[in-house]
Amino acid sequence: MLCTFNRFLDRIEEWLIASFMATATLIIFIAVLHRQSAAIPWLWQYASQLNFSWAQELCIYLFIWMAKFGAAYGVRTGIHIGVDVLVNYVRPSRRRVLVSIALSLGAFFTGTIAVMGVRWVWFVYGTGQTSPDLEWPMWVIYLCIPLGSSLMCYRFLQVLTRFLRSGELPVHSLAAAEEGTA
Amino acid sequence: MNAMLILLILLVLLLTGTPISIALGMTVLTFLALFSSFSIDTVDIVSQRLFTGLESFAIMAVPFFVLSGTFLTEGGIAKRIIRFALALTGSMHGGLAIAAILACAFFATISGSSPATVVAIGSIMLPAMVKQGYPKRFAVGVITTSGSLGILIPPSIVMIIYAVSTSESAGKLFIAGIVPGILLAGLLMLVTYITARTKKFPTMPRASRQEVWASFKDAFWGLMLVVIVMGGIYGGIFTPTEAAAVSAVYAFIAAVFIYRGLTLAQVPKVLLSAANTSAMLLYIITNAILFSFLLTSEQIPQVLSQWVVDQHLSPWMFLVAVNVALLAAGQFMEPSSIILILAPLLVPIAKTMGIDPIHLGVIMTVNMEIGMIHPPVGLNLFVASHIARMGLTEVSIACLPWVVVLLAYLVLITYVPAVSLWLPNLLY
Repeated sequence: MLCTFNRFLDRIEEWLIASFMATATLIIFIAVLHRQSAAIPWLWQYASQLNFSWAQELCIYLFIWMAKFGAAYGVRTGIHIGVDVLVNYVRPSRRRVLVSIALSLGAFFTGTIAVMGVRWVWFVYGTGQTSPDLEWPMWVIYLCIPLGSSLMCYRFLQVLTRFLRSGELPVHSLAAAEEGTA
Repeated sequence: MNAMLILLILLVLLLTGTPISIALGMTVLTFLALFSSFSIDTVDIVSQRLFTGLESFAIMAVPFFVLSGTFLTEGGIAKRIIRFALALTGSMHGGLAIAAILACAFFATISGSSPATVVAIGSIMLPAMVKQGYPKRFAVGVITTSGSLGILIPPSIVMIIYAVSTSESAGKLFIAGIVPGILLAGLLMLVTYITARTKKFPTMPRASRQEVWASFKDAFWGLMLVVIVMGGIYGGIFTPTEAAAVSAVYAFIAAVFIYRGLTLAQVPKVLLSAANTSAMLLYIITNAILFSFLLTSEQIPQVLSQWVVDQHLSPWMFLVAVNVALLAAGQFMEPSSIILILAPLLVPIAKTMGIDPIHLGVIMTVNMEIGMIHPPVGLNLFVASHIARMGLTEVSIACLPWVVVLLAYLVLITYVPAVSLWLPNLLY
């Protein structure tokens, strides 16, 4: 049950951040093309009917969502780098303690942010604020803070339990990741 | 006093090995909870900042350039650039090594990241150099070092982060990186040439004119990217962020349809890997912005600035101190974090001393290059050790002579501002 849930969570997380990335890129690319088409009269005749003033705003929101969920994905892939001088220097038993502290801090911080995020979303919901260009309700856009942060907290707890059980940590090697996609 | 307290909290958190982003955020929470007049309003400001801190179109150049860099690395573009570089310099003393430096410089003009440059060029050139009879140590040193050109030659992710955190113009900083970048590439080539002559490294037969032309044509579509990005920004066609988005789409087309290094089915993996890296960077940026918000609200930049002014340091002594501090920080943290934390502190002081923030940006970038090829957290070293299948210690030793070269170069960049400022002042 939990296993199926985790697998589902993994897939949806990967799917979300990859599509946020692709969509943001395409939108800005099309917006640039659209603006440049003003130089070609016959094309502009049609292009000027469209309005892309919302493109930048949407791009920013997509990337912020990508960043919040991507950060959670990053915990799973071990890409968040810390200072490991002391951790590598001390003997294994102490290392275990340090790593556990570090992971718990991660879970604590992201958990706190998630709770604060809920408070904030609730507040914004009350104001009925909408975004300047898209005129979307801001509380929906701000939802990425509690959602992303609680997912990240969950990932930290996952990594922590796995570490306590097996002593393994996700290791992200930049090169390994890049070779993997080659 | 508060400054010391904040630094102490940060230091303790960092030493546990907590990710830098989390440590920065936790420092803010801890300080607010324990040492300030804690109110529920500050809590709201913190959660708001986590979102609004990123709400800037300029920052979004970072994910776009990461994406374009990933496409370039995977897409078979590096291979063409290397062939062209080889045709140009292969016949010189140490030709293969010089071609590797040239290829890194070319690749740096289309990619904004150093580790990506090491991966793209190194994974092809390292085996080639070893096969040709170069000592492995020398080969690794050359690749790891010249890969660091990635952040000095525009476009550069590190420079964008500097520009964002100090409200300087990314376009101007890019221009300022051109001359220092070419100069450094030249210096690395010179050192390689002299070493190759004295140690009698193998040379290659001179490439025919046809080969030079053919390899240029083959690499053309890749090299066009620099024309699009730089030409677009300075022709006023688009902003740096839009340029980055266009370059990502262009790199995608070049990788999938022109060079066919990637199939469409592999694209989601590239997107995911780029998203992973950029989310990590954006997460550090968010928390660093939160951290500087704490510093500013405690008026620490002003206090620090006043303190430095009271010391009656001359600008050159200040720059010595800056370099020492940056090199020390480079021992423990990766470039984006260092710039995000230190640049907002240093720039106001530099301004009161009459140091151009653009010049300081170039100094910081060169400094970060050194940090990248220096243990314990040199990103290039990790990448190189992975490609070369060499231990981290050995790669670090291989890079040591090059650290000296870069340090000498840093002195030049620091004390001859004209190298960095001549071109931007001419154009702006």
